[in-house]
Amino acid sequence: MSEPTSAQTRRLAEEARDRVRFEEEALELSDQVYRVARHLVGSREAAEELVQETYVRAFRSWQQYTPGTNLRAWLLRILTNLNIDRGRRQQRAPQTTSLDEKGDYYLYDKLEEREGGPLDEERVIERLSQDSIVDALAHVPHDFRDVLVLVDIGEFSYADTAQILDIPIGTVMSRLHRARRILKGELAEEVAK
Amino acid sequence: MSAYGVDPCEKCEEMMQDYLDRELTEAEMRTAESHLDTCSYCRRRYRFEVSLRRYIRTAASEQMPVELKAKLAALRIELQ
Repeated sequence: MSEPTSAQTRRLAEEARDRVRFEEEALELSDQVYRVARHLVGSREAAEELVQETYVRAFRSWQQYTPGTNLRAWLLRILTNLNIDRGRRQQRAPQTTSLDEKGDYYLYDKLEEREGGPLDEERVIERLSQDSIVDALAHVPHDFRDVLVLVDIGEFSYADTAQILDIPIGTVMSRLHRARRILKGELAEEVAK
Repeated sequence: MSAYGVDPCEKCEEMMQDYLDRELTEAEMRTAESHLDTCSYCRRRYRFEVSLRRYIRTAASEQMPVELKAKLAALRIELQ
């Protein structure tokens, strides 16, 4: 074996430095990745497993990431693909007819009806428990929930969400609107109890 | 009658989600804002939507377990 040239040594050192930088940046985003994963799958255990698999995949294929692009979206793309590959979600077309879907103002109107007049928004919202939000989210069908979780919890743009889920931006918008209506319908049922 | 046509509040409801997501065009944003400035019915619902979104984000945010964080950090070494 011949000794590596100084150019080769430099290249290896640069690669090692880039890799460490990638890993550190990816780990800094792990809280945000987990927050999204937690609501894409049914249980905490499944979310933890999915996040670990995502990081194994990311660390192995770090050279496929283009520095300067959105690393959080890149990690979420891996995560959603793994979620689909592992069959943790049903592979079916989104339901289009059977959802109990109300208008955008449905929850507000229900709450106002209950209060008997205009709402103090902050006060009335606090009556919704954290558990009721988590339960209502879990009742949103997968295809709609994925979009809702990425946009409303992960704070991704429509464009990033379209890229992560590999669907057209128009589909992101229509699923998102329906997902929010379904969620509000679920919450309205909760407050009516 | 405003730029919305026959039912400005219905149109405002249709645009509300994109408005909140800052995904409308400049012209659409201005149209939505001018309606919200003058319509207390829609403004109350707008404020409710803003609060609801913030609340959902907070309520659904679950801290990552410390053990998982340690496991992810350990993967770096294992995979080298």
